[in-house]
Amino acid sequence: MSEEKSGVLPRGVTQEQFDAAVNKFRVLLGEENVLVKAEQLLPYNKIMMSVENATHAPSAALTATTVEQVQGIVKICNQHRIPIWTISTGRNFGYGSAAPVQRGQVILDLKKMNKIIKIDPEMCTALVEPGVTFQQLYDYIQENNLPLMLSFSAPSAIAGPLGNTMDRGVGYTPYGEHFMMQCGMEVVLANGDVYRTGMGGVKGSNTWQIFKWGYGPTLDGMFTQSNYGITTKMGFWLMPKPPVFKPFEVIFENEEDIVEIVDLLRPLRMSGTIPNSVVIASTLWEAGSAHLRRSNYLTEPGHTPDSVIKQMQKDTGMGAWNLYAALYGTQEQVDANWKIVSDAFKKLGKGRIVTQEEAGHKQPFKYRAELMSGVPNLQEFGLYNWRGGGGSMWFAPVSEARGSECKKQATLAKRILHKYGLDYVAEFIVAPRDMHHVIDVLYNRSDAEETKRADACFNELLDEFEKEGYAVYRVNTRFQERVARSYGPVKRDLEHAIKRALDPNNILAPGRSGIDLDTYQKS
Amino acid sequence: MAVDRRFVLKGMVLGGAAGLVLSRAVPVLGNVPPSHGDIRPTLALVGSGAVESAFLEGAAAAAGTHLRVRQLERDLDFMLDFERQLRAGPMRLIGLLDDASAGLLLDLARSAGARVQWLGQHTVEGGSTRHRVLNTDLAEGCSRQLSRQLHACGAGFTLYEERQGSAAPSRQLAAPAHRGAHTAQWAAGVGYLLAALGSRPTGVQPILAQSAPASGSFVSFSIES
Repeated sequence: MSEEKSGVLPRGVTQEQFDAAVNKFRVLLGEENVLVKAEQLLPYNKIMMSVENATHAPSAALTATTVEQVQGIVKICNQHRIPIWTISTGRNFGYGSAAPVQRGQVILDLKKMNKIIKIDPEMCTALVEPGVTFQQLYDYIQENNLPLMLSFSAPSAIAGPLGNTMDRGVGYTPYGEHFMMQCGMEVVLANGDVYRTGMGGVKGSNTWQIFKWGYGPTLDGMFTQSNYGITTKMGFWLMPKPPVFKPFEVIFENEEDIVEIVDLLRPLRMSGTIPNSVVIASTLWEAGSAHLRRSNYLTEPGHTPDSVIKQMQKDTGMGAWNLYAALYGTQEQVDANWKIVSDAFKKLGKGRIVTQEEAGHKQPFKYRAELMSGVPNLQEFGLYNWRGGGGSMWFAPVSEARGSECKKQATLAKRILHKYGLDYVAEFIVAPRDMHHVIDVLYNRSDAEETKRADACFNELLDEFEKEGYAVYRVNTRFQERVARSYGPVKRDLEHAIKRALDPNNILAPGRSGIDLDTYQKS
Repeated sequence: MAVDRRFVLKGMVLGGAAGLVLSRAVPVLGNVPPSHGDIRPTLALVGSGAVESAFLEGAAAAAGTHLRVRQLERDLDFMLDFERQLRAGPMRLIGLLDDASAGLLLDLARSAGARVQWLGQHTVEGGSTRHRVLNTDLAEGCSRQLSRQLHACGAGFTLYEERQGSAAPSRQLAAPAHRGAHTAQWAAGVGYLLAALGSRPTGVQPILAQSAPASGSFVSFSIES
């Protein structure tokens, strides 16, 4: 019956093998948790990348509710060589959405494993399942009046801590480097074993979410951005809610100011005077987040000229760069640090400081302040209306937190994007020593020619940045194999050796981060 | 795209085509047996604007009193409430929204376990329209029907269709502009098609009065929970 078959098969799997596996999945999970109809799978196939949806079409989607079911799924996949692509909430928008890396992979959707297993308000720790969203956690903390603060990425409310951390995503609070705050994982391995990292293997241990390292090799990192296991629980640290929170913005008029901004910020970040992941947003990131549209200013195709961007700055008060940071602590601590910070900017002689009192409820200040204080919102989705057309790919090279380097990257990226008629829509997320230079390559997917241009542009960004010794820290599923090559053959050989040892049948997300036993050839 | 299946309407005989399409009810829309011509109760979710109004006019023509309308609000509470409603189901939802809102809504529909029959990306620019549709067999025939309507509108268009889970290559339909400035008629056509999906509409698709060209980017969808 055509309704029961999606028309897509996993690579190298016959219809008979697939049907046999699906029947076993139904016995294990129940009919309602095995999705094979096209209308059930279509929402998993909405991509924003520069290829046809069909390239990333799943053959089926499964929903599991227990660790035992995940073990059962892995067993069936091994029996029938079925590749599975696991998602937690699947909100990886500009990095590939919920769709699998390869056509035909079966999606394992863990959205129904959504229990907050434990929050310890004294030790400030949490243990959650994959489907838990930040909104769920926020509601729990509010309802129970817990003195805790969350850190999350911009899709905040609808994304979740496990998926974001496993993809090494970042947030905007002092706990913004999420993997650094992770403590303890439970992982279902390809052979069905359930492995707990850190202190998790010690019977009766109460320090699984307290002490990261345990004993012997520490393996947590190798389960991130990889395909070595399915993480079914994750612990992480929560920030105690500070008595005083003081967000602020500093607006800079000129693109060249990025050099001084970064060099001024670096010591303040290293010393912890400014403790959070600071953001420096370009005009167009700011404009999109404030729900401005390009069509308000320009209807001609191509990139937005600098003259138009200057006019936007003039009309809206936005800067060429817009720095958002915050201070946290007691009133005394915040007052002391505010003096240091404001004096530093005054001494620089550039930049207009805006406080919360001055900004009021004005966007984008409001949503930035919320993100820096752990309050979920969806404001930044406005970026998708900047050009419109549903195309978005995040190009995210890592940079030194050094002004000259940031300027060099910004100039290079802008030149390449403009060559392809696309806009430089970017933000730097500032750690003490590194910057995540996140560029949203926005384009119109309804325009086949523009989609091709965006694809070529992304390739050129990767190529040209690599020539300068730069590489991205994360990328959408269209380019994962390409980016893996940037990191060299020895790393890839080792990754595949580990894959062979842990998952010899290559059933767990083959192709994730370029790790695929079927296609990789040792150099 | 499969070039060999490209269907170019350029040479289409124009005589009466527009009138035929725009003034006649579509027999059955979608690959579902009609059930006594019944239109199921449908909620239309739209933003504000001329194009969205045209979409609603089209939807209302197909669904009549079975159509309820809800205006989009962009705040978090609205979106989360909407997800709860989808989960509670059953609900049949069609709509035409901006990219950001639609991106969110579709993702919430997925996590609510809803089914999606149609996802259309529409751009109106420089007097022509572009449409990229991802749909299922349930929407069989709708894209071709839409292309006829678009052609009848007189504006140039391209329509690119992918069928979820189909082994068949994607299909592209296109036609050049052949008369006057376009209106938001395409949106009325999409509204009519989606409201009537899988049923036998009794109404007649409206012909909109000429209006100033509206540009922008829109997303149409048909969702059931």
